[in-house]
Amino acid sequence: MTQTLEPKTTVDRVQIYKTSPELYDAMMVLSNAAAKDIDAELGELIKIRASQINHCAFCLDMHTRDARKHGVSEQKLDVLAAWEEAGQLFTERERAALALTEAITELGNGHVPDDVYASAAAVFNDRELGQVIAMAVTINAWNRINVTIRLEPPRS
Amino acid sequence: MTATVNKQRRINLNRVSPEVYEAMVVLNTAAAKDLDPDLAELIKIRASQMNHCAFCIDMHTADARKRGIGDQKLALLPAWEEAEGIFTEQEQAALALTEEMTDLTRRHVSDEVYARAAAAFSERELGQVIAMALTINAWNRIGVTTRLPIPKR
Repeated sequence: MTQTLEPKTTVDRVQIYKTSPELYDAMMVLSNAAAKDIDAELGELIKIRASQINHCAFCLDMHTRDARKHGVSEQKLDVLAAWEEAGQLFTERERAALALTEAITELGNGHVPDDVYASAAAVFNDRELGQVIAMAVTINAWNRINVTIRLEPPRS
Repeated sequence: MTATVNKQRRINLNRVSPEVYEAMVVLNTAAAKDLDPDLAELIKIRASQMNHCAFCIDMHTADARKRGIGDQKLALLPAWEEAEGIFTEQEQAALALTEEMTDLTRRHVSDEVYARAAAAFSERELGQVIAMALTINAWNRIGVTTRLPIPKR
């Protein structure tokens, strides 16, 4: 079991952005499409929460930095993993988007429940809701790439 | 919880976010390049089973049958690890990788599973297997969240 404490870098992983360049291009198209008409701060919260659930180190590093640049508070970033317990720290729209993101990210445990969907549909219009879903889907895709190829976060 | 499924109308993502839908089609086309279509169907069905995407399972089992993938393979797919002699080494390596990529909430993509896939595929093929697994995961999330209706076959 001590093996799990070793850095997980024992097998060289494929440089997928070199071997599958069309994948990178397509992911950028998807990312840009998902980012339209969505508040940048909300987008970062969605991206960070999904990356926490999926354990994507590179994505967490990137999006916590981006969130700080967008002015997301340290307190929100620190408490994001327990947003449900944080009272009014997060807005109603943020809470609705985070609950939906969690359901979308954890499909292995079940579907996207009606109450979670309804809470999001109550605070976002159809277009915004579509973009929140798109953002959650897209960061899940990036998480899968970067976890699989073990992309290392740059050292700061 | 099961009683509430399918009772609620959900948005049509293709209508409200057409650029996203178009981008997904581009992603799909990119992932399908240089990948054996039979193998691709097995990846798509297995991920869709794990993610409980009814629309995706229905579409890809129909596609797999059209491609001539046998009933036995389709029936045994959720238990491929126990089905000795049914799936090729490439199929097993791709399915193991797909399962770990789909299940990121519980574990990472292990060295053992990654190494098995790296041994069975060229780098280009491996990249495309990974691309297909994450692409179907993205479709699954759209299908489940928007509750895409299943056409009667």
